[in-house]
Parts: sequence; C-alpha cells; structure tokens
Amino acid sequence: MFDFSWNMLSYFPSSVSTYSDAHDSLFTIVYYLGVGIFLLVNSILLYFVWHYRHKPGATSYHYHGNNIVEFTWTLLPTILFAGLGLYSDEMWKVMKYPSRVPTPDVEIDVVGQTYAWSARYPGSDGILGNRGAKYRSNTNLFGIDPSDPHGKDDIVLTGEFNLPINKNVVVHLSSVDVLHSYFLPNFRIKQDAVPGAWIDVWFNGTKAGKYELACAELCGGGHYGMRGVVNMQSESDFNKWIDAKNAVRKQVLAAEAAQPKAPEPAPAATTAEDAGHTEHH
Amino acid sequence: MEAAVATHEHGADHAHADAHTHEHVHHTSFIRHYIFSTDHKTIAKQFFGSALFFLLVGGAFALLIRWQLAYPGEPIPVIGKWLPDSLVSNGAIQPGFYTQLVTMHATIMIFFVIIPIAAGSFANFCIPLMIGTDDMAMPYVNMISFWLVPVAALTVLAGFFVDGGTAGGGWTNYPPLSATGTGHTLWVVAIFMVGFSSILGGMNYVATVLNKRAKGMRMFDLPLTVWALFITAVLQVLGTPVLAADASLLFLDQVFHSSIFLPENLLISTGNLHSGGGQPILWQHLFWFYSHPAVYIMIVPIMGVVSDVLATFSRKPIYGYKAMVFALMAIAFLGFIVWGHHMFISGMSPLLGTTFMLSTIVIAVPSSIKVFNWLGTVWRGNIYFTTPMLNALGFIGTFTIGGISGIFMAVGPIDVYITDTYFIVAHIHYVLFGGSLFGIFAGIYYWYPKMFGKMYNETLGKWHFVLTFITFNLCFFPMHMLGVGGHMRRIHDPYIYDFLKPFQPMNEFITIFAILLGFSQLLLIANILWCLKYGKVAPRNPWKANTLEWAAPAHPGHGNFDRDIIVYRGPYEYSSPESKKDYLPQWIKPATKTSEKEHEAIAHEG
Ligand code: HEM
Ligand SMILES: [Cu+2]
Ligand SMILES: [Cu+2]
Repeated sequence: MFDFSWNMLSYFPSSVSTYSDAHDSLFTIVYYLGVGIFLLVNSILLYFVWHYRHKPGATSYHYHGNNIVEFTWTLLPTILFAGLGLYSDEMWKVMKYPSRVPTPDVEIDVVGQTYAWSARYPGSDGILGNRGAKYRSNTNLFGIDPSDPHGKDDIVLTGEFNLPINKNVVVHLSSVDVLHSYFLPNFRIKQDAVPGAWIDVWFNGTKAGKYELACAELCGGGHYGMRGVVNMQSESDFNKWIDAKNAVRKQVLAAEAAQPKAPEPAPAATTAEDAGHTEHH
Repeated sequence: MEAAVATHEHGADHAHADAHTHEHVHHTSFIRHYIFSTDHKTIAKQFFGSALFFLLVGGAFALLIRWQLAYPGEPIPVIGKWLPDSLVSNGAIQPGFYTQLVTMHATIMIFFVIIPIAAGSFANFCIPLMIGTDDMAMPYVNMISFWLVPVAALTVLAGFFVDGGTAGGGWTNYPPLSATGTGHTLWVVAIFMVGFSSILGGMNYVATVLNKRAKGMRMFDLPLTVWALFITAVLQVLGTPVLAADASLLFLDQVFHSSIFLPENLLISTGNLHSGGGQPILWQHLFWFYSHPAVYIMIVPIMGVVSDVLATFSRKPIYGYKAMVFALMAIAFLGFIVWGHHMFISGMSPLLGTTFMLSTIVIAVPSSIKVFNWLGTVWRGNIYFTTPMLNALGFIGTFTIGGISGIFMAVGPIDVYITDTYFIVAHIHYVLFGGSLFGIFAGIYYWYPKMFGKMYNETLGKWHFVLTFITFNLCFFPMHMLGVGGHMRRIHDPYIYDFLKPFQPMNEFITIFAILLGFSQLLLIANILWCLKYGKVAPRNPWKANTLEWAAPAHPGHGNFDRDIIVYRGPYEYSSPESKKDYLPQWIKPATKTSEKEHEAIAHEG
C-alpha cells in the first residue's frame, strides 16, 4: 500500500548539521534500548500468559514475592536510566547552555508573527542595531531603535532566508504576538519563539540546499501554513547573496536621504507601562 | 449528620421547601434517587454514564480530525453539508475549526472522560465497597463533585455557539493565544469547575479511606485499587488547586486585562488586549505543575484496577504487594518534580532542563517496578482469559510501549526534536488509550456484575477486546514513525510541507483504522445496554474474588452490605494452603469447624 519500514530510524529527514548528526546517534542508542526493553517485557509476558494458562486441575503458586528480587529490579533500571540521563546531559548542554553557544560567524534575529517568519540581517556594517519592544509595530517587527545608526542598514526578510554552511550561525529568536516554535526538521532543532524574550539557537550546517522551516507551536487557525525556507549556501554563494542585498539596501537609504525628511515609521503606541526599558543587544 | 445537611440544603432550595416536612417521601423520590442522589453507587453510575457519552462525543471529534489529515480539503462525509459556514467551507473542515476540534477532543477526553471514570466512577464505586463501608465520608460533597462535571462540559461546549468559536489553543491553552476570545474564557471557567469537582472528590476519598475502613482492616489490607485511588486522591487535592489558580490568573488577563501572562506591546489585533510586564511561560509552569500529576491521576487508579484483575484471574497473590504500594507513592511524589519535561523547548532556563531531565528519567523506575511485578503476578499462575483479564494483559503490553516512548522524550535533546510532533501523540495514546482506557475496560467488565447485578456477554466482550486491540495498534503505532519523520501535531494540512507530502498514505492508513477503532466501541456500548436488560442475573461473587465488594449482595442497595464485615487478612490470598478452594476472601473467619461452613456459604452464595 505504501512504503513502510519497521525501522523507525529510517523515517528521519536528512541530517544536515553537526548537531543533527550527534542527535541521531543519541536517538539510535535510545531506540535500541527501547526495542530491547519492549522485546524483553513482551516476550516474557506472552510466554507466561501462554505457559500458565488455565488447564484442568492446574493450581497456581501461592507466593507473595521476594525482597531481593524487588531490590534488584529497582536498582538495575535506576542505574540504566540514570546513566542514560547523565550521558545525554552533555548534548543538552551543548545545545542549550548560553555559555556553550559558539562565537557566531553569522548572527541574525528571527521573529514569528502569525503566520510568517521574518529575519533581520546586520547589514553592511555587520552590526545588528539596538532593539526594544516599545519600538515594535507592524512596520517595525524587530523593534529597531530608530535612533541607533547601526539599525539603519539592517535587512529584514520574510519567508526565505539564506545562510552559509560550515559556519556557526546564531539565531536570536522571539515573537511579536503569540507563541510560535522555530522548527528545522533537518537540523533537529526546535525552540519556542516567546514574545518578550530573546532566546539563542545555534547550528552549523554541513550540506547546502533548501530546507523547510516550520512552526511547531499552535498559534491560531493559520498555524499549519507558517512555513519558511532556509537556504543553506556555500560561503561564497552566501557572500554574493548578502552583498547584493546590502547594495539594494544602500540604494534605498540613499533615496530616502535625498528626499526631504522621509517619514519615520511611527513607533508603536506607547503607554505608561510600556515606556522605560530598552532591550540592549 | 446526613439529615442535618439535608435540612440545610433544602432550606436554601425553595422548590423543595415543602417536601422538607415529608422526609420519607423524599428518600424514595425519583429525583433524590437517580438525579441528586448521594448514594456512592448511583454517583458512580452517573460519572460512568456521562463519561461514556463524552467518550462518543470526543471520539467523533477525533474522527473529524483524522478525516482532515487523510483527505485534506475534501468534504466530511454525511455531516459535512449540515455544518455552518463558519466551520466548514463546501463541507470541508476550515483551519480554525480544525484547531477547535483538536482542542475539544483532548479537553473532553482528559477532563470529561478519563478523569471522571478513573477518579470519579471507579473511586466512587470501589472505595466504599472495597473497604466494607456503607457510603463515602461526605455524601453531599460527593454529589456536588459529580454535578460540576456536566455543567462544566456544557460550558465548554457552549463555546461552539459564541462569537469566534470555542477554544482553539490546544488542551494546554497557552497564552497569549488563549488570552483573547469568549471561547477561551468559557474554557477557563469550565476547567475551574472540573478542577473543583476533582478537589472535592479527592478530599472525600482521602477522608473515606482513612476513617471508614471495615473493622480489622489495616492500610496494608487494602486492595491495590483502593491504594491507587487513595494516592490519586492525594494528587488531586495537592495538584488541582494549582490548575485552578492558573485558570483564575488567565481569567483575570482575559476579562480584567491584568497582563499576568502578557509581555509588553504585543501586536495582537483581536480582542481588547492590554499587554505589558507579564510572562507567557508562567502559565506553562503552573499548568504542567498540575498536568503532569494529572496524567498520573489518569493512570494510577488504573494501575490498581489492573493489579486486582491480574491477581483474580491468575488465581495468585500480587507479586510484591508492598513494593507495588511504594512504587505508587514514588510515582506520585516524583510526579510533582518533573513537570518541566513538557517545557524543554519553552525557553525556560536550560539549567532547569538538566534537572527535569534527570528527575523524569528516574520516574521511569517505579513504572518499571510495576511492570515487573505484574509479570511476577502472572508467573506460575493459573490464568483464566476472561474479558477483564484480556484487557488487563493488553494494558501491560501497550502501557510498556507508552513508557518506552516516555524515555525518548525524557531525554532532553531528543525531546527537542520530537516534541510537538506525532511522536507525542503516539505516546499520549499509548498511555491514555492503550493504558488507561484498556484498564478502564478491564474495570468496567470486572465490576459490571456488581454495578448492575447482571453479567455482561463474554463473547461480545472478547470481540470488543480483540477488535479494539488490533485497530488501536494499527492506528497509533505508525504515529511514532510520523513523529520521527518530523510531522507536527495540531496542523490542519500537513501537505503544504514538502517533507511531509510522502506521509499522506500513512495518514490515510491511520485514519482507516481510527474509524474501525471508533466503531468497535459500539460493541462495548451494546454489551452494557443489552445486558442491563437481558444479561444473566449475577451471583454475589462471580469471579471467586477475595476483596470485600464481593461480600455485598449481587446488586447492593443503599448501605451496601447485608451483614457485618470484619477483615481477617490481606486481599490477595489466592491458592492459599489455608483453604481448600483457590481463594480465601478477606471477610472469612480463620477456620474453626462451624465458622468455615457458615462463611463458605456467604462466599459462594448465588
Ligand atoms: C515512563 C513514564 C513516562 C515518562 C518518562 C513520560 C515522559 C513524558 C514526557 C517527557 C513528555 C513531554 C513530551 C513533550 O511534550 O515533548 C510526556 C508527555 C505526555 N505524557 Fe508522558 N511519560 C510517562 C508516562 C506517562 C503516563 C503514564 C501518562 C498518562 C497516563 C502520560 C501522559 C502524557 C501526556 C498526556 C503527555 C502530553 C501532553 C501534551 O503535550 O499534550 N505519560 N511524557
Ligand atoms: Cu504556529
Ligand atoms: Cu509529564
């Protein structure tokens, strides 16, 4: 009827980052552990159930159990499971601990908005301008501080993002409305985008290609359609692409400067409790 | 005591004010007997009936969800053309309606089916009968605990008729999404009500088990069902107030714009939303602080039921009775320190992730202990394959799979990938359907004779089990594969993603077996209804079991027991050398010539 394999490992989408390779090895260990436990328990169960089924004249064994046995089968799983926990903790740290996030080669901001992903690149100065929630509006999703010169040349894109392979990419992630979740299946990465917080996600891609970016946290009716694309390119292709973007941005800025007093995008309505704190980058 | 409370209640109730003087009319009146009854067995039947009804409603929602995943955009057969345009377009499910279906399916199954059956119906039916007493410690509280459930269910379903529709943020209802819309407010109010139902029930069970045990019954003479229900009750009392608090805080955000869960300057246009200074993740901490223990509220009673069924039909004592009790206590205790495993991707401090990963992995230990002891119980038994036994054995097999998938998710880095995918959906259903629901079926068949005084039909029961077991596994096992493939949960149309397009045939396969699984449940309903009327009259102790409920008359009336109950031994003296029979009930006096005859008579009375 359709391609079906009992081997669960065969269903993974292709693995395209240093982290996803490591993830799949860990998954493989747990998978075989799980298959082992499953076969052990269920074959014992089936054997007992068949072998000790009621037969005329049969009686059962009047026995309440044995403390040494209880102790053994408490200790063994404890050692096994605690070992697994400690072993996997290293990978958890590598991915999540802020102290373990590598020095970025490329750094971008990403925000989710119902129902699309947007990214901000640093522009030709290589620096992301300051941002703050109070500057946020529908025309300024990232809340770029209008008074920060580093923000002027930043590039904002929606839907498809190019990034280089073999580089440490650090994504600063947030949301402008409800929760979303930044899910890159091929990279085995998922992180909720939480309004009011900026959370770091990092990866180092190994294979060029276009990979789908999904939203994995229910964010409303259109949640299923919150699809993006991450285009992983070789370093030289990426540089060409970003240079072209920067050039376009420069022209736009020059054109704006030529006009007398270009209208600033109005900052979002500020109320008493909004005012006051700026998030520093 | 009872009379005093009655006076009090009717003093406030004008409709009944005049009936008040005729106490005797009162006790036989239809309303008191069947609707606002305080008899624990009637309340158990009410919980049971309403849960079966909602099982069908929730099941119907599930089939709609499955239809959409197999055949996105195609009109729903039969009912599609009757639904309003706000829900369907040309008979096909709209995205907003889809999220509402997902939300309602889970809300109903968790809060209106599994918890009410496990911690409502079984607790009410079993506790007084199995500890040899006449009723709950607080019968009126008990009645209120039931009536909150249908009121809450109507509240949440009323959401379908309000502007913007019913709650559509998932059963976990995370803000900011859930902070706007009347549907979400109704959801919060309903959850508050079922929460209180649960707290009232839990208080009552704790009080009853501690104070109303039959003469001679020590805590370690309790059957595991009662132990399990007692420990569940403690979970209900300690955990549910936190859910109530969480719901109240969200209510404040929704109605009084307090911004507890809402950070500064959100770009949300729907609703009159004020935001600033709040923390969305706070909701999740409070929610899971309750909802992780809640998954144990749904499984722990069932572990007790399964233990009793296994012992009875293996004609063998439970292997490691005390280890089983301590394992339940360990599960309950650890259940309160693992909630963060639902939040590995939430953005909470990664340091917490490490802690929660280790505590969660440790909670697999008491679960394993239980499985090993169940195996020990059937080992060298004398096994009878009745319908309850088949369901109990099915429970062990499927629950094991759910436990194993739990280990995958307990490992933080792995969970990051499979969370919010169909892997979680597979896990949930292996523990809640494969686990809780199979155990619930075992309990329903096991106690049917005592509950209704009739025997169910064994052939029909076995068909129900076999069909359910096969279709269940074919429906839910492939979901693990979808999850590993990255297939997200709660998505209206997976196939807009290229990487999910190849999964359409598998989704179709799952849907076919989901439909068969759903229709197999009609055998259960048919068996229950048919045998109410046409079933064989049940004997007092049809399973030749040891626990006290079987000392009561076949269909016990108000007050339960027709003789004094004194407990002489533990609940699992099967095949004991002390007795010529292969069982030795708790209420039988240790052998002296005369007493043996007299009590044998009770034990085997038809
Ligand atoms: C060996 C024992 C178990 C372990 C280690 C375990 C572990 C987990 C973990 C880590 C999650 C979070 C997954 C995620 O959202 O990413 C989870 C979810 C869940 N578990 Fe378990 N679990 C176990 C047993 C159970 C049992 C016995 C039940 C219920 C009877 C249960 C019901 C659930 C439910 C309902 C969810 C999903 C909640 C949601 O997000 O909708 N689990 N489990
Ligand atoms: Cu989403
Ligand atoms: Cu949990």
